[in-house]
Amino acid sequence: MPLFGIETEYGIAVDGRGAGDLVTESRAVVRAYAGKAAGPWYYKGEDPRNDMRGFHVDKLNFDPNDAQFDAPGQKPLPVEEERADRVLVNGARLYNDHGHPEYSTPECSSLLDLVAHDKAGEKVVLACAKARSEQNGASPVHIFKNNTDYHGSSYGTHENYLIPRATPFSQLLSGLLPFFATRILYTGAGKLGIEPNGDKGLYQISQRADFFTEEASVDTLHRRPLVNTRDEPHADPREWRRLHVICGDANMSEYATALKIGTMYLVTSLLETGWQPWVKLKSPTEAIKQISRDQTHKWLVSDESGTISGIDVQRVYLAAAKEKLAGRGYDTDWTLREWERTLDTLESDPLSLGDRLDWVAKRGLLSDYVESEGIGWDDETLPSFDLAYSNIDPDEGLYYALEQAGEMVRLTDDGTVNAAMTQAPMNTRAAIRGHLINTFNDSIGVVGWNRVVLRTADESWMVALDDYLTPDSVVQAMGGLKTAHSVEDLIRHFRERGK
Amino acid sequence: MPVTDDDRATRPSAPADPLRKEGDETGPSKPDVERPDRSDLLKRMKRVDPDQARRYRQRSGQ
Repeated sequence: MPLFGIETEYGIAVDGRGAGDLVTESRAVVRAYAGKAAGPWYYKGEDPRNDMRGFHVDKLNFDPNDAQFDAPGQKPLPVEEERADRVLVNGARLYNDHGHPEYSTPECSSLLDLVAHDKAGEKVVLACAKARSEQNGASPVHIFKNNTDYHGSSYGTHENYLIPRATPFSQLLSGLLPFFATRILYTGAGKLGIEPNGDKGLYQISQRADFFTEEASVDTLHRRPLVNTRDEPHADPREWRRLHVICGDANMSEYATALKIGTMYLVTSLLETGWQPWVKLKSPTEAIKQISRDQTHKWLVSDESGTISGIDVQRVYLAAAKEKLAGRGYDTDWTLREWERTLDTLESDPLSLGDRLDWVAKRGLLSDYVESEGIGWDDETLPSFDLAYSNIDPDEGLYYALEQAGEMVRLTDDGTVNAAMTQAPMNTRAAIRGHLINTFNDSIGVVGWNRVVLRTADESWMVALDDYLTPDSVVQAMGGLKTAHSVEDLIRHFRERGK
Repeated sequence: MPVTDDDRATRPSAPADPLRKEGDETGPSKPDVERPDRSDLLKRMKRVDPDQARRYRQRSGQ
């Protein structure tokens, strides 16, 4: 069973406030969440300095330019206060990540569930921003689902995939680099300009491509890698890895989100079998930039034997997936079909994909505006329209203007997304986490991805969610949990089962 | 992890999966609405603060 999720660090702008205020403002947005939630987060279960290559680093690198926004002499708050974690009844996590409201979807096992929960995250964060804006003394808050501030600061939209520990990391690395360098052809969200100091009028495919300088590293804040080596499985580490993918763009398009996750699901499945792509790029970190910036749409990059197009690199993976995985299940077959259709169209008529790929949709909007206003692509106002595409307020955002006009393919609907704001996926461990938070909220001690601590007057009990990785185990557990009428009943239930 | 995703068997049957309709092999398509007037989009664009990106500064994230 696949298990995947998306973490989105949202951009935030507050009228009259600067970047130095955003940690405080982001925390206030998270605290404005009005629904039922639990916390604090189980930080003891996390170790972002542990490297999959078998070592542990003393410290992570920080962006030196970011330090300018720190008030001199300011003491950091305790992590629980700083991050203000809210774990929601749908199993998701909402918190302040260094000046960005971050929403981590609950674990999902189907593409449709994940698209719905990704969109539910937008609605949750928007509701928080509106609530914060209405507080006494607060200024209007605007939220953006993007990855850059156009001044050299980037923030992430990460994907997570649970894969067997038995798959050697070296095979993951070699197998993923060509894929990551080229998948922006359909996952890119589009961006005006090259950061930090490049051509401001060049429209590129990816928001994030400018920011990757390393092939592999445990760092995420500075000198970012295409393949993040953080070893933090949030599951039994003897059996599992969590592939923490940091090189993706934030997608507004539901179709692009589904294709991004679906293709990764297939590629990780291929790599788990020992399959490796025959193509090796000379420099994956250069290739992703070349593809992102290529105005000819030929997307040629250098491999070990000469030149190859990014589309053909993708076809190497698609061909293997068709051969080895076709017929495996619904999401697999949807992904195979749409992946091939998208690559074919990228080759023949890429700009016709504006109803499903963000970079094409945004390019069309900007192009129309350039034409109607008689301005150049380097006009200093144009990045504001790029930014407005990712405004998550349906009354303000330009993506939502396209969606409301019927210009974008949707895979879900408003009712499903609204339901996902308060309902966990039924067949993943998020259902157990959400049920415990919803039913025994007053007895929650701390919460993590694979731990929930329950507290009574007499004892604490740690519920290990590691054992609930299959739909059957989740459904069976939920049946038992729903018979518990008190936290004492609940602890007795777990104790009898050795959980 | 097995290479089958038989999870479909345990997946809730509702809501109906819009990733593909029964008998539809053509994949997702635009919503069935009247072709919009592109001028409405340009009106929304006229409401955008043209200076917002210049002011937009963020903390470096992950």
